[in-house]
Amino acid sequence: MTMELSAGAAKRRGAGGWRWAGRIFLVLLLGFTVMPMIWMFITSLKTGFAAMQYPPQWWPAEPTLDNYWRLIDPSGTVGRDFLQYFWNSIWVSTLTTILAVVVAVPAAYAFSRFRFPGRTFLFFAVLLRNMFPAVVFLVPLFILMKALGLVNTHGSLILTYLTFGLPLAIWLLKGFYDNIPVQLEQAARIDGATRFQAFFLIVMPLSTPGIIATSIYSFIGAWNEYIYAYTFLTRHDQMTLPVGIQRFFSENATDWPGLMAATFMMSIPVVVLFLVLQRYFVRALTEGAVKH
Amino acid sequence: MHTKTGRRLLGLSMAVLSAATMLTTATTASYAQSVDLSKWSPEYVKSIAGTKKFDAAKDCGAVVPNDYAGSVSYWYTGPFEADPEIAHVQDKAFWEAFHAAYPNIKTDVQSITYNELLDKFRTSLLGNSAPAVIRLQILGGVEFAAKGYLQPLKPEDVGYTAADFWPGALKSVTYEGVSYGLPTNNETMAMIWNAKVFKDAGLDPDNPPATWDDVVAYSKQIHEKLGIPGYGLVAKQNAGNTPFRFMPQMWAYGGGALDEAAAEPTYKTVEINNAGSKAALQAAYQMYAVDKSVPTSALTNTQGENQAPFIAGKLGMMIAHPAEYAKMTDLASKATGSDKAVADEVVANMRYGLLPTGPDGKRAVVFGGSNIHVVKPEFVQGGKVDEQAVKALICFWDSPEWSTKLAWVGSNPGNINGFLTDAMKERLDTIKFLDVTTSMLPNGIPFPVIPQAPEIMNIIVPDMLQNALTGNMTVDQAADDAATKVQAIVDGGGGI
Repeated sequence: MTMELSAGAAKRRGAGGWRWAGRIFLVLLLGFTVMPMIWMFITSLKTGFAAMQYPPQWWPAEPTLDNYWRLIDPSGTVGRDFLQYFWNSIWVSTLTTILAVVVAVPAAYAFSRFRFPGRTFLFFAVLLRNMFPAVVFLVPLFILMKALGLVNTHGSLILTYLTFGLPLAIWLLKGFYDNIPVQLEQAARIDGATRFQAFFLIVMPLSTPGIIATSIYSFIGAWNEYIYAYTFLTRHDQMTLPVGIQRFFSENATDWPGLMAATFMMSIPVVVLFLVLQRYFVRALTEGAVKH
Repeated sequence: MHTKTGRRLLGLSMAVLSAATMLTTATTASYAQSVDLSKWSPEYVKSIAGTKKFDAAKDCGAVVPNDYAGSVSYWYTGPFEADPEIAHVQDKAFWEAFHAAYPNIKTDVQSITYNELLDKFRTSLLGNSAPAVIRLQILGGVEFAAKGYLQPLKPEDVGYTAADFWPGALKSVTYEGVSYGLPTNNETMAMIWNAKVFKDAGLDPDNPPATWDDVVAYSKQIHEKLGIPGYGLVAKQNAGNTPFRFMPQMWAYGGGALDEAAAEPTYKTVEINNAGSKAALQAAYQMYAVDKSVPTSALTNTQGENQAPFIAGKLGMMIAHPAEYAKMTDLASKATGSDKAVADEVVANMRYGLLPTGPDGKRAVVFGGSNIHVVKPEFVQGGKVDEQAVKALICFWDSPEWSTKLAWVGSNPGNINGFLTDAMKERLDTIKFLDVTTSMLPNGIPFPVIPQAPEIMNIIVPDMLQNALTGNMTVDQAADDAATKVQAIVDGGGGI
């Protein structure tokens, strides 16, 4: 005896099928995305010989943490240098992020709230720098840094990173400010607040998710940057991580486990940053500013 | 066994003798000859090792007093994480010895990776932030000498004579008749193969391919029988490893980029599209595109990418330094548990032999290595070069003892007297196959000593390979295209 499904039940079953397909797709996508990280971690637990085996060992027969120990042991050359690179990257990325946000916040606010001649042109001109590949600016910026006496200093990197970090920050933040109703500021002004007070007490708190999202973008951009750091810095005590981990490549060989351990450790701050600030990031993408 | 070894040695000596004669003819006109090339063989190298003592601190003290106070900045490619432990030990020992010999000379030392050094040096010169002294790969120096960045430097400046160095090596630091540096180490490579792979593929496990045509045939046979790549072809663009492995094949077939393989090279004649060059390119094409007997990833491979399959027993043969054996031994020593037995077996199956010859019996290898140079003060950080401190460092680095120790695993001493030291004897006793790679020295051909050499070797030659192997061009078209480019930059166009 066959039972006929009602139209609603059939619809629900169909929807359920789509839901499962969607879930399977997401799991596959997750696997595809995370697999390189997992393989990187597994390789970092191998000896140099085990890393070179074929077929590959999906899990090392003799796992070792030596590759990590080498990186964090300050008594060894590798550890000493790696910790220095790590600190340099933290320093440069953090300072770049702070400066980008400090400059971008008022600039974006001005683009959002003020009407002035050439506003639209200027707003698009800000992005002009990001329309060209980094290598186009390499020689001009190097000559500029040389003239400023900044070659082989972190100052050269911070200034350079601001050239591509700032436009993005301004554009992102302007979008957030546009979503904050101007009436909120007007209400504060009626209550006696100055424009600065209205900005700092009303707009800034509401745009916190946006500022954090912008900071993350800015930080990651600086953290991962290679070509300028490679060009402007030659001293080991100045190098950032992306350049520093080149030491795992020799003329005729590569220390794969060491490289993987270094790369895995290099990814930790970014992952932690995302995990800690995830809720702000999501809010920045989804939340409206109007409070009821 | 002894008979076989004797026959091989006799053959080797004959080959060396003919090559040596050619090389001697080419070089005695320019330099006094302290090396009896006619005797150069594995046996001769072993017989002279450990026969003379040297004292670097004392000898260099006669050039620059040991109590001299000053400072020197220095860039070089020192040992990195992927290098064998012994390289790190010798590097550390050198700096300790130097500071003991010259306690009042301050050193500012930067070790920069092989693939970064040239670019970083170019950048630093533009920014007037270069070091006073730099050690560059043999291909690099002439570019900077031609551009006026380097100071003249000859052996006598630091207490040596031209007779203390290989003539071919001195050629590599000479531009328009002026010497701009000193050789620190010289290297020639050999063919390395996995005896077990050879045996499993039905080949003689104790003998390498005699000719480059054999390489093609062996590679095909290994691939067909075992399903693994036979020969570790390297064709990465803008990578020094590529010309170091392809030019010996090209020269052996009678080709060349210019006429660098000639007894009296003029570096004016383009030979990259002659019959020999095309034959070499055709052989590479045959292995890659037709037989598919080399790694598919050859187009992006450096030697580093050959190591993994070789140590895993998944690659039959490749061109390599003696360092390869040291590296494999190093990896095996650090392997643990079940990996250990496998690693030891791989090391036991490694064999070294001379590079193959071309169809006419010509054997060639890149005369490689590094040279040490002094930068002009106006390009140096701070605008000054402490001449005495510079001399002390170069003298010490190029002393027979340290020239040998610092080239421990991958090379040979730049100072020929290094072959007489105890260190050389120890190397020969501990580094298997070193005698083979060392005996390739007389077959060494330096890259063209012109400022455009890096572009020709690192860019045009690999691009030509890529064009042919990918089918982007026919072999003839790829060679002719490369010839046009070489001609253009030799005539003054292009260039880095």
